[in-house]
Amino acid sequence: MSRVQGRTDWAEEEDEDSLQLPQQQITKNKDGTETITTYSVREDGKKVKTTRRIKKTTIKQVVNPRVAERKQWAKFGQEKGKPVGPQTDTTSVAENIVFRPVANWKASAEDKGEAEKKKQNLKDAKIKCRICSGDHWTTKCPFKDTMAPEGADAAGSVTDDVPETAGALGGGGGGYVPPHLRGRAGAGEKMGGKYERDDLATLRVTNVSEFAEEGDLREMFSRFGHVTRVFLAKDRETGRAKGFAFISYADRSDAAKACEKMDGYGFGHLILRVEFAKKST
Amino acid sequence: MRPILLSGHERALTQVKYNADGDIIFSVSKDHVVCAWFSHNGERLGTYHGHQGALWTVDVDPTSTLLATGGADNTMRLWEVKTGKLLKTWDFATSIKRVEFSPDGRQLLGVTEKRSGHLSTIVVYEINPDPAAEQTNEQSLRIVCDESKATVAGFSYMGKYIIAGHEDGSVSQWDAKDGEYMFSEQIHEPDMQVTDLQWAPDRTYFITASKDKTAKLVSTNELRVLKSYSTDTPLNSAAITPVKDYVILGGGQAAMDVTTTSARQGKFEARFYHKIFQEEIGRVRGHFGPLNYVAVHPRGTGYCSGGEDGYVRVHHFDKAYFDFMYEVEREQANL
Repeated sequence: MSRVQGRTDWAEEEDEDSLQLPQQQITKNKDGTETITTYSVREDGKKVKTTRRIKKTTIKQVVNPRVAERKQWAKFGQEKGKPVGPQTDTTSVAENIVFRPVANWKASAEDKGEAEKKKQNLKDAKIKCRICSGDHWTTKCPFKDTMAPEGADAAGSVTDDVPETAGALGGGGGGYVPPHLRGRAGAGEKMGGKYERDDLATLRVTNVSEFAEEGDLREMFSRFGHVTRVFLAKDRETGRAKGFAFISYADRSDAAKACEKMDGYGFGHLILRVEFAKKST
Repeated sequence: MRPILLSGHERALTQVKYNADGDIIFSVSKDHVVCAWFSHNGERLGTYHGHQGALWTVDVDPTSTLLATGGADNTMRLWEVKTGKLLKTWDFATSIKRVEFSPDGRQLLGVTEKRSGHLSTIVVYEINPDPAAEQTNEQSLRIVCDESKATVAGFSYMGKYIIAGHEDGSVSQWDAKDGEYMFSEQIHEPDMQVTDLQWAPDRTYFITASKDKTAKLVSTNELRVLKSYSTDTPLNSAAITPVKDYVILGGGQAAMDVTTTSARQGKFEARFYHKIFQEEIGRVRGHFGPLNYVAVHPRGTGYCSGGEDGYVRVHHFDKAYFDFMYEVEREQANL
């Protein structure tokens, strides 16, 4: 391959190589197709013979002459002198979009929306403290040591009562039950009993001034009946009120009266919002 | 379908238009430049320079030789489509919100903005279709809108009427020959601006889009509401598709609220409604700002939309679009 017929010019060598390859052959077949045979040298130095059969068809396309003429127009303005064809700086192809018209499009789309709404609701519901109904996790609640969960917790959301009762009786198996709850629960069969009663007559007071004291609240709410418990949430570090409180009455009717009268009552520089402590669902 | 994304503008698009043969798209934006694009591949043919302010509107004559634009620099300009040469500038006291050629291309209409001391007007010029000719300075018609300012306007079939949409949601009709006021109808909710008015191919009816979240199909002669399409977002534009009986609506909440909402909530989608049954049949998403204008290819093979995001998206419909039929339509077709 290297020196051929006395040629000494090394620069000609490449040409010499290609000359050795047979010429491209085009044969016309009877069925109107053409067979094109070409030879080439691959990168690894091997000769390759390529045979292609081609059928040529003429496709006639009727083009609006005005449109065809406009395609030949020279570019102008910012495009002046730019080569033919779309320029990458101004024109690109976006992602494929599936567009399929459907008769009941709206219905299907709304279903999807509803499913998402439900999901959203679920999300919201999860971040609700079972102790103070605040928008944080129960485990993060600053009052989880000082307050029992609201009634619903024990009665409603805990599905299996058995270990709970066992725990209440001081047996193994269930979670820890504080001593002050054990005695009472021992009397009744169900822990829920105590909470349910409590829950019915408990008011949740929000928007309480941060300078409020439990005594003030007790004084205010005692007007409507016998108050069994006042709980004012306080910040551990500063000792100031957190802005909400729970008031338990002995009688539910008193609680209802208080709820009605005290909702919207101005206390300190704020307006109280009073509602029944809700079961967390 | 794979949309072609045209990113030649630096600011929000205000109007996009196909020429009569549908091979060129003209786009105007707030960046002062007019662009011409080939619709089949998105290649930019050229740009037209000269405006000193945001552009609001563009229109091309039926033969694609002359291009008219109007903008916030208080001028209406006429260009030669082929070369990008500025042929004529008309100066006004206020900005031009809408331009439109008459169906024969011999008249050009402009809508001027209302501003302190100046009422909104609709002006008409006679146009010489020869690009080399001198264009007149004389207004052949001048309609003053003293009740509520005109926001959009156009020539009806045969250039018989001038139909205008107003800021108060009404649509009114004038005789295009002598400018005589005929009547007006409250088509949209009161004080909900008519944002767009686009014609059916034969101009015997048109579609209006409004901030009241509806688009209405209105007859030219009686200004009677034929069909109504209600959506859940303010509309900026509405177009009627030839070949298939659809309408395309574009909108999204106001540009000033865009940054406070996600693209998903923003409803920046082109909505397809069936023209006859008034039912939504699909949406095409893609823009990440409100759609300021939608235009349909005159042959009904595609559409393009210009968005507040500064992009023009050119869509060529695929088979599913043409195949879709309601059950009753299919029965009718099989008869």
